[in-house]
Amino acid sequence: MLEAQNLHKSFAAHRVLKGVSISVHPGEIQVLIGLNGSGKTTLQRVLTGILEPDQGTVSIGGQDITALPPEDRRIGYVPQHTALFKHLTVRENILYPLRNGRGSEETFHEIVKLLSLEPYLEWKPHKLSGGFRARVALARALVSAPRVMLLDEPITEVDRAKKEYILPLFREVLLQLNIPVLYITHDPWEAGQIGTSFLVMKDGIINRIDSPEEAFALIREQARINGE
Amino acid sequence: MRKVSIWEVLFVPLFFLLIVYPVLAIIGNVTMEGMIKTFDDPIFWDAVKNTLVTAFFAALLGVLMALGFGYFYIFHPGTIVYKIADFMNDLPIALPHTVAGLALLLAFGRNMFGFIGPTGLAFTLVAVVLAMFFVSYPLAARTIASAAEEIDMEQINVARTLGDNPQKAYQRVVIPLLGEAIFSGFVLSFSRSISEFAAVIMFGGNVPGMTQVLASYVFTKVEEGEVSMAVTASAFCILLSLMLVVILRMREKLHARSAESA
Ligand SMILES: Nc1ncnc2c1ncn2[C@@H]1O[C@H](COP(=O)(O)OP(=O)(O)OP(=O)(O)O)[C@@H](O)[C@H]1O
Ligand SMILES: [Mg+2]
Repeated sequence: MLEAQNLHKSFAAHRVLKGVSISVHPGEIQVLIGLNGSGKTTLQRVLTGILEPDQGTVSIGGQDITALPPEDRRIGYVPQHTALFKHLTVRENILYPLRNGRGSEETFHEIVKLLSLEPYLEWKPHKLSGGFRARVALARALVSAPRVMLLDEPITEVDRAKKEYILPLFREVLLQLNIPVLYITHDPWEAGQIGTSFLVMKDGIINRIDSPEEAFALIREQARINGE
Repeated sequence: MRKVSIWEVLFVPLFFLLIVYPVLAIIGNVTMEGMIKTFDDPIFWDAVKNTLVTAFFAALLGVLMALGFGYFYIFHPGTIVYKIADFMNDLPIALPHTVAGLALLLAFGRNMFGFIGPTGLAFTLVAVVLAMFFVSYPLAARTIASAAEEIDMEQINVARTLGDNPQKAYQRVVIPLLGEAIFSGFVLSFSRSISEFAAVIMFGGNVPGMTQVLASYVFTKVEEGEVSMAVTASAFCILLSLMLVVILRMREKLHARSAESA
């Protein structure tokens, strides 16, 4: 189980996380919905260890990992805009974790097949379409044999029509892993397609909700207040 | 007829008078006799060799240090070390290079480094390298830092989650992505090193055949009244710097083209 308790994070005087707590069980895909700038990425970065929280704890399977650097957490991370290694081919991108003794050639072949990436293995990332970049970013994280998966709007650069078949694929792959998955989006429709449970981020805290529509109602009101 | 702007009227004549004309003055004054005398002078060739070798090592040291600075820029930008280093990068712009040379002389000369030899490190080729490095390193550091600024930091974050500590992420992700800037940084600091006179002469001295470089060779020949030799050596320097500029430009063009096809 992935657990975060009472996380606080400010940038100078700007308080972004004001006591965030979550718990994600293995086999669950929790979708975190929130407006632009509500702090979703900040939360992911605190969970991966890239940012240090001002207060609060993060644990995986009961082990407190708050003090561990990112390289020791074994969290798979698919960031916003995919951040593929530009200088490496698709194959080298996906095999990257093996340089650190994580994953194996076997899982590499399995995942490449599952995500239909064989034809693109020798391509450089910039030649790929948004959908395939997202697949490569997912594959790279999966090969590292993570204990938890975090995805931050992984398919924002994908056309709506393509989202309709990439989402079920991602859902199937993520559920197969049987590990805690936290998936960020600001699109309630996407949330409904991929998620098994739903969270909404508002005013620096996170609440569990029953459906993506409920999130939408909550953040619509927020957007109206912000004057957007 | 096209209307000529005041800026064109200002720029064109002054550019030719103040920049192009002096360069041509050197070329125009090259004589056969001066060329024969200079190219027959073994001391000249020593100066050429010294210049190229010391500038090479100064640039190499400069780039290595610049990569260290880049590491601080990316992983420890909040530290006092980074802030001092960043500040010091701009210092040599305003500092007379005689002052830099004197500073090196006091720091590494007889007083502090007398245990190495009678003059410390001063007046050796090592001193020449250090003097060149002192004035050219900031160029390399700024080149690397501005290229590092362009890198999508999220790539580094991902590398960390895939098991890289900061050092590995730097070597496997940042340095390869800096490739072009590392080359430019090297050529820039090499060029700056070749052109350095004041700091080199203060700390490295001007011993013909020993620590004399092209810049100080030209100076000595003028002092000795051997103007034709000074002119020949100067023309040689102009050719050398033209070559370096062309190399930089060609790389930039290639880079722009590969970025376009990307
Ligand atoms: N490194 C930083 N320094 C200062 N402020 C930051 C930093 N990172 C994020 N912020 C601020 O924190 C707030 C939350 O940003 P964050 O990126 O977490 O939002 P988000 O929910 O992911 O938004 P989006 O949907 O646009 O991706 C924003 O107001 C942002 O400007
Ligand atoms: Mg975000």
